[in-house]
Amino acid sequence: MSSTTNTIASGGLESARRDLQWLLRTMEEAIAALVTSFGELTKDTDSILGLASAIVGCVEDESVNAVLPNVQALGAAAKRFVTERLQSTTGILSTVTAETELLSQLSQVTESQASIALKIKILNVHTKIEVAHLGTVGAGFDYLARELADFSRALTLSTDELTRHTNQHRSANEKTQSVLSVELPHLREQLAAVEFSLMGALDVLDSGLTRLFQAPAQFKRSAEEIAAQIAGVVVAVQGHDITRQQLEHVQQAFDVITSKLDSKQALTTGSDSEVASGHAGLSIQISQLSAIRETITEWASQIQSCVGSIFRISASELVGVGPLVLEQEESMSAQLFNIDSLERECKSYGEKLRSTLNGISNLSELVKEHIQKSESARNRLRLLTFNSVVEASHLGEKADAICVIADGIAEVSVEWSKISEHSGAALQEILSLSDRINGVIKTFSRASNEDLQKAQDKTSTGLKNLRSAASFAVMQGKRIETVTDAMWTKSKEIERSSQMLNTCFDRIDSVVSVLESMKLDLETDDAGVRQRYDEAEIERLYSASYTTQAEREVLRSALSGTVFSGMSQYATGNSVELF
Amino acid sequence: MKRVLTVDDSASVRQMVCFTLQKAGYEVAEAVDGKDGIAKAGNGKFDLIITDLNMPNVDGIQLITAVRKLPGYAFVPILMLSTESQAEKKDAGRKAGATGWIVKPFNAEQLVAVVQRLVK
Repeated sequence: MSSTTNTIASGGLESARRDLQWLLRTMEEAIAALVTSFGELTKDTDSILGLASAIVGCVEDESVNAVLPNVQALGAAAKRFVTERLQSTTGILSTVTAETELLSQLSQVTESQASIALKIKILNVHTKIEVAHLGTVGAGFDYLARELADFSRALTLSTDELTRHTNQHRSANEKTQSVLSVELPHLREQLAAVEFSLMGALDVLDSGLTRLFQAPAQFKRSAEEIAAQIAGVVVAVQGHDITRQQLEHVQQAFDVITSKLDSKQALTTGSDSEVASGHAGLSIQISQLSAIRETITEWASQIQSCVGSIFRISASELVGVGPLVLEQEESMSAQLFNIDSLERECKSYGEKLRSTLNGISNLSELVKEHIQKSESARNRLRLLTFNSVVEASHLGEKADAICVIADGIAEVSVEWSKISEHSGAALQEILSLSDRINGVIKTFSRASNEDLQKAQDKTSTGLKNLRSAASFAVMQGKRIETVTDAMWTKSKEIERSSQMLNTCFDRIDSVVSVLESMKLDLETDDAGVRQRYDEAEIERLYSASYTTQAEREVLRSALSGTVFSGMSQYATGNSVELF
Repeated sequence: MKRVLTVDDSASVRQMVCFTLQKAGYEVAEAVDGKDGIAKAGNGKFDLIITDLNMPNVDGIQLITAVRKLPGYAFVPILMLSTESQAEKKDAGRKAGATGWIVKPFNAEQLVAVVQRLVK
């Protein structure tokens, strides 16, 4: 080995030592700043996790959890409500139209009855005339005349009453028909619109709540990630202590290398093994510095990754979930209001229909009563016919005219029976109409909306809870944003520390380059230097001050000519071994 | 609140022990070397001590030997936290009265778990 090479070597090592001392100071400074900023940042992180945890607590609250099934139940009840009413409204107009036709039929019945009342009155007059002709002999027919007069009067009264009611009802019915024909399409449109918008709102709320309910799991993941990242930073900062010791050991090794490569010593001893030891020392220190570089790279990356995770939770959906749910809750509350007003409207339709039903009920009662009266009248007429015929047969030829009257009564009785049958059919139709309208009213009435009402109440309470939870989440989200803003400043400080660590790389590279160059010079001077390694002696020489397993492993890799890349295995930290 | 004493000449390691254990709800005091550690242990009552091995003035082994002689410290758990992982070093620690050994860097979660177990 030339003396020039040795001089360059000792100068190069001195310069490398200065670089390493600078590196130690810079790292110390960077780590101190980083630890301070990181401590503050983790306090802020704890605040954020606390705030986010409160949001999660709200979401996990039982009453909020029940919102979705309640809203879904409301959706189903409202859909049933709307469907039933849509079906009912299709029958209303046809019912009212049928009622109009029925009223026309009843008018015909009353007209026929009026004509019969007139005929009976005429028969009464004829009877009175005949009674007068017959004198004392015809005194028995006087009763017939009175009966006919009573019957005619009663029939006229009954017919007038039925006519009046029929007319009144027809007028009310026409009014209802006119109102319904205008309002029913509107109601149907409203029902369909409410159904459509409710289903849309339900879908939106459903997706919003699904996102809300994902928050706890998302939070758990974020919290776990941050905890792992923070633990990683704890390991990284401790890594600095190990690196510091490694750098000190490298500097100590420089002394050994310098002594081995000292020209005087080498020339005196003439030992090639001294040069080989120096060469091996350079190889080992190059590997140690490469491992240190790898460790510092790990820290920088760990710290950046941790800061990134902390900021990710601030930007996570968890923070934005409050305003989103609040918006959806408002839309859902508006739907509840719509359902409520629709219910009121349906109720008022129910009232309108109820008045129609009342009219029909009155009418059916009247017709029923009228038919009963008709029955007894028909019986009386039959009895009168029979009595007249018997009386007339006693009187013989003198009572021919009375026989004609009796025939007239019999004809009226037949006619009356036909009208009664007609009235009976009308009554049946009235009763059937009454049943149909009653069904529609039941559908529209409040009592049949119990399911919907319950669902509304439950949803209303649920939405109230959801609103409080979402408002709370909004408030917490704002606080998280405030803390996040403060964290930016600290993250900038961490960034500066990381940049300081990055400048260390250049210095390490420069030292490695010096050592590589020295090593190459030695190899140029002595091509077989590597073959003369006494590994046991070299390990004893250079590892005396080593305190870490990693340093020993790096040394062995350097001696065997392999590259040690196991520094990352120390990144997770070690466990405790209890004695 | 349970009290822990961390003894290490590296400020960053002490800070990380403090950070980890304070987060877990412990009160943590710091000592900059073995001499400072013995003094602090003598002046206060700690439920657990975590000490480095290689320190200026008084090293970890000497600290354990001295602390064990202090009143009330015969059974207080003492953990060695060192970059050293050689069996003979661990054995020396055990003989001096250490309760356990952690090779630096420590895993925060596992350190907390062991501390919780030891000071229960």
